Amino acid sequence: MKIVVCIKQVPSTNDVKIDPQTHNLVRSADGVINPFDKNAIEAALKLRDQTNGEVILLSMGPESYRESLLEGLAMGADSAYLLSSRALGGADTLATGYPLSQAIQKIGDVELVLFGRQSVDADTGQVGPIVAEYLNVPQVTFAEAIDLTEDHHLIGKRRLDAAEQEVEVELPAAVTVRSEMNQPRYATPRQIQKSFEKPLTVWTEQDLDLDPERIGLAGSPTQVTQVYAPAAAKKRVTMLTGTPEHAVQELLQSL
Amino acid sequence: MTNESIWVYIQLNQDKIEPTSLQLLTKAKQIAEDKPVWAILLEPTTLTAEATIQQYGPDNILRLRDDRFAAATDEELADALEQVVTQYNPNSFLFPATTAGRSLAPRLQAKLQTGLTADCLDLAFDGDTLVQVKPTYGDNIMCDIICPDRRPQMATVRPNIFKAVRVPNSQTEVVSATFTFHPETTMTILNTTRLISQTASLSDAQTVIALGRGANQPKTIELARQLAAKMGGVVGVTRPLTDDPQFTHDQQIGQSGQTVAPDLLINLGISGAVQYTVGIQNANRIVSVNTDATAPIFADSDYGYVGDATEFLEGLLAQVK
Repeated sequence: MKIVVCIKQVPSTNDVKIDPQTHNLVRSADGVINPFDKNAIEAALKLRDQTNGEVILLSMGPESYRESLLEGLAMGADSAYLLSSRALGGADTLATGYPLSQAIQKIGDVELVLFGRQSVDADTGQVGPIVAEYLNVPQVTFAEAIDLTEDHHLIGKRRLDAAEQEVEVELPAAVTVRSEMNQPRYATPRQIQKSFEKPLTVWTEQDLDLDPERIGLAGSPTQVTQVYAPAAAKKRVTMLTGTPEHAVQELLQSL
Repeated sequence: MTNESIWVYIQLNQDKIEPTSLQLLTKAKQIAEDKPVWAILLEPTTLTAEATIQQYGPDNILRLRDDRFAAATDEELADALEQVVTQYNPNSFLFPATTAGRSLAPRLQAKLQTGLTADCLDLAFDGDTLVQVKPTYGDNIMCDIICPDRRPQMATVRPNIFKAVRVPNSQTEVVSATFTFHPETTMTILNTTRLISQTASLSDAQTVIALGRGANQPKTIELARQLAAKMGGVVGVTRPLTDDPQFTHDQQIGQSGQTVAPDLLINLGISGAVQYTVGIQNANRIVSVNTDATAPIFADSDYGYVGDATEFLEGLLAQVK
């Protein structure tokens, strides 16, 4: 069984600031796999080991995204694809979901597509459901557990807003994974060495026969018009003093 | 037919209306100017949520009734919504940024080929353009996002950012929608179990005792629980404490956790990273205790105390009636 895991590379820290002069984002250059996507890779590896399957990583972004794909290969994935070209750049979630879904179709016979529940930088969680819609497959979002049945179905446990839900879907399907599902494994030095020998293929929009109107900036319905630091609505703080007993007394009188 | 209405998705959690949907009705009315506000309600015939929704003053309630909505998949909901959106062409369509909303809205977005902004903290109209304020990089950066050319302009909005205000509208018109329910044959909902939700109690609580890395000792946690019980409040935690198996993600306050809006919030051993403070901005009175006098949390607090969280808790337990 072929399992595709869609991953995103994110900055290693969210400690991002705005340069007051240039208004540009100042962020660390080194990228890591989005943490929730590691849970998705872990889930895929576990299912592969049960079913003699194949785990294929898929990402879209600049050449530097090779780094996180290699990291995923070192965790144990079998191969990786990177969708990368200037024309794909500047995409919002809609213009990201489209090339990913086309790539999954080109990979062919994919029975399960896994995603992390959301990225920690843009924090949208939208690409999973968009890809599910484009592939016309059922979606199991915010899954805490997944299991395969013998008759080629997947049982997923979802955590909803005030409920827990168990669902059964026929494959192919798309699943977005919560971090509660598992503990991602670490790459062993041997696995890291092996990762460099695994196939990592770069595709551009030409390899996928994409509609130019639906990719990159042109294919993105949304536009960012302004980027700024959050307004700090600071309060005027009254400091309590003395022993804890005294401070509590002072507090309770004021409240 | 174009229709410059603002639509709000009424999320039902089993038989209860998700509070964020009501908060969005209030917000939509505030920013609407002369645009009509529509509540979009997909409900089984066993429910009548209309009366409650009307209390929050929408101009219309567009009702889609089918018993299968009692347990419908994202695809089934998105399919029904696509049918009514294509009939009425609303200007914008707002969803709660809840698990349900964040699953359904992008599926619908892909069907409609329009823009969707996730987890907005604010909304405003500039003419007919909806300006959507979205945090990014863990709430460290804000972006204004627009969707200038396509309709509807879709957004999911973070719970508890706005207050729901009752303004009953006797003119509210309930419109029954024409649509066909298309069952998703490849997916079955086996069961849905309602949880005695920590989430609901945390986001609705009037008193919250919040624990951070500086208040993670078993004794401190126990005292915090006792104080919460005594004050009728609940305990919440920062992200690092969710690594402790006795706390779940549902008890986490802040970005990627819950937004709280209590009357009284007591922060213990919390330094005040922006990922946390964004979740407490609607708290009325904030008391913070930290051993570090330079902790940024004090700038977000009404009362501060530099000292030991455990001793402060002991003091509170002794003196609170």
